[in-house]
Amino acid sequence: MSAQTSNNLIHHLLEESERLRPDNCAMVHGDTRVSYSELNRDANRIARFLHDRGVTPGDRVVLLLENCREYLASYYGCLKAGGVAVPLNPELKPDGLAWLLSSVEPRVVISSPKCERTLHALSLSRFSIGTLLLVRPGLNWRESPVSPLSFDEITFSGVNLPPPLALDEMSLASIIFTSGSTGRPKGVMLSHRNIVANTRSIVSYLELTSTDIQMVVLPFFYVMGKSLLNTHIAAGGTVIINNSFAYPATVVKQMVDEKVTGFSGVPSTYAYLLHRSPLRSVRDKLVSLRYCSQAGGHMSRHTKEELLKVLPEHTKLYVMYGATEAAARLTYVEPDRIHEKIESIGIPIPDVTMKVLDENGIELPSGQTGELVASGPNIMPGYWNDPDSTSKALSRNGYHTGDLGYQDKDGYFFVVGRKDSQLKVAGHRVNPQEIEDALIATELVIECAVLGLDDPLAGQRLVAVAVPTVEAVTERDILQRSSHSLPRHKLPTEILFIKTLPKNSSGKIDRGACRELFR
Amino acid sequence: MNEMREQIRSYIVDNFLFGDDNGLDDSASFLESGMIDSTGILEVIGFLEENFSIKVKDDELIPENLDSIGNILGFLDRKLATA
Repeated sequence: MSAQTSNNLIHHLLEESERLRPDNCAMVHGDTRVSYSELNRDANRIARFLHDRGVTPGDRVVLLLENCREYLASYYGCLKAGGVAVPLNPELKPDGLAWLLSSVEPRVVISSPKCERTLHALSLSRFSIGTLLLVRPGLNWRESPVSPLSFDEITFSGVNLPPPLALDEMSLASIIFTSGSTGRPKGVMLSHRNIVANTRSIVSYLELTSTDIQMVVLPFFYVMGKSLLNTHIAAGGTVIINNSFAYPATVVKQMVDEKVTGFSGVPSTYAYLLHRSPLRSVRDKLVSLRYCSQAGGHMSRHTKEELLKVLPEHTKLYVMYGATEAAARLTYVEPDRIHEKIESIGIPIPDVTMKVLDENGIELPSGQTGELVASGPNIMPGYWNDPDSTSKALSRNGYHTGDLGYQDKDGYFFVVGRKDSQLKVAGHRVNPQEIEDALIATELVIECAVLGLDDPLAGQRLVAVAVPTVEAVTERDILQRSSHSLPRHKLPTEILFIKTLPKNSSGKIDRGACRELFR
Repeated sequence: MNEMREQIRSYIVDNFLFGDDNGLDDSASFLESGMIDSTGILEVIGFLEENFSIKVKDDELIPENLDSIGNILGFLDRKLATA
């Protein structure tokens, strides 16, 4: 069987949907609508171009693009040419970008106008980049050692056929850099097999079809956004790109206008949808919204319950859990059991196995807490150029998530905290997640981060950074309410109020930056 | 109006452009230019609410009201006229 007919490569998902439904809308961005045949044509032209420029299987192609038509064409085009897609945040600063370019040594860089100035400021000659492809170039590059080419000219014409390549499903497809809380970002290597297996599994449990229309506000350069893209392209559905979540009212309005069937977010997305958007007032108009899904870290019980109250009755809520190292997804809570299992991260998705292991790698019985370790065809082969981190994360048992948790009698998993974020306050082991949940449950706080600062007496003392629901909220109000659910040693000694929590570009709370606020 | 413009402009330049206005145009989109991200927009709202004694409603969180210095001035003009 040839690779082309077995549909085991990521771009085969696009090609199959194009074959079945060439006129279906694959993507909407503003006034732009792109059909499957147009998207596949653009991707073929990019693939031909990359092939002609000397890209061979395994060569890295850096994508410095926000969510847009060009991202889709470049991503699938790169894969069709056998390249390894390395999507990076186009808002990176020159130093961060330079480090990443040195690490992945790309043969090609494709950039949107947003990153053109940053690239222009770097001395590109030190990275041996063969080709620089710019979407709507606007700067003068005459003095530069690299002469950029225009993206639009490549996709405007050219052969609408992918280069004839026989690729193996185990070949490297993408490197996704995770925003680690400490140190340098780690590049997670994902093969075609990793991503295709996870995509098929997600399509199956979310029951995605060609009539699904997904509102995408999360960036494709992180794994959750990438997964939204691949699953909807595999199902033959539509992705609606909206890069203006800063203005939630605009997103909610488009969800109504476009009859969106699915919405996905991280905890902060939902915190802002609940507190700073007209979601409540338009709920009756969200007639097509079949489901909302949440991943990207722990979301407090209170936020989940509020969301279940505010969403239309016909809208299911999928709470999910995963990791970049798992090509996105590991577990999900069946929506019918969400009330009963509201604190759970769910059961493993099809093809994934998850176990709770002790420090010696021995499996623990239900009810006992250990590290969550996952295995399946979606688990990464390792980190890019980082054998030390790889050997820490992967063992014969699978991928060590670093999360501590347990399994109940029904097979549902629960996360109780991070292996590395347990605090020790005056002899007590304290899990910051529990305190954050309690502070949010006071209904005086939109979101917050609880940290341990070094303390000569207690070892660590608890402090919190919080975004209040209204300006008049005081530290005393919050402590008074949370004292009903927290013992004294778990109450923060200080609460710092702030307009917004520092976040990294994946929307996760930047705990290092929160800590800096106390210096 | 001019005073208001200067107040907003210097807030944006000081807080998001690190004091370097680099020919900042009143019509430049905060989001598209990458000048301000989504959490930054919420900071801008906080600034407007505090300094101009207004309350930005949830359904007013749209780019037409907030995504450039010019849009903010127009929005404040409309808000303050009805206050």
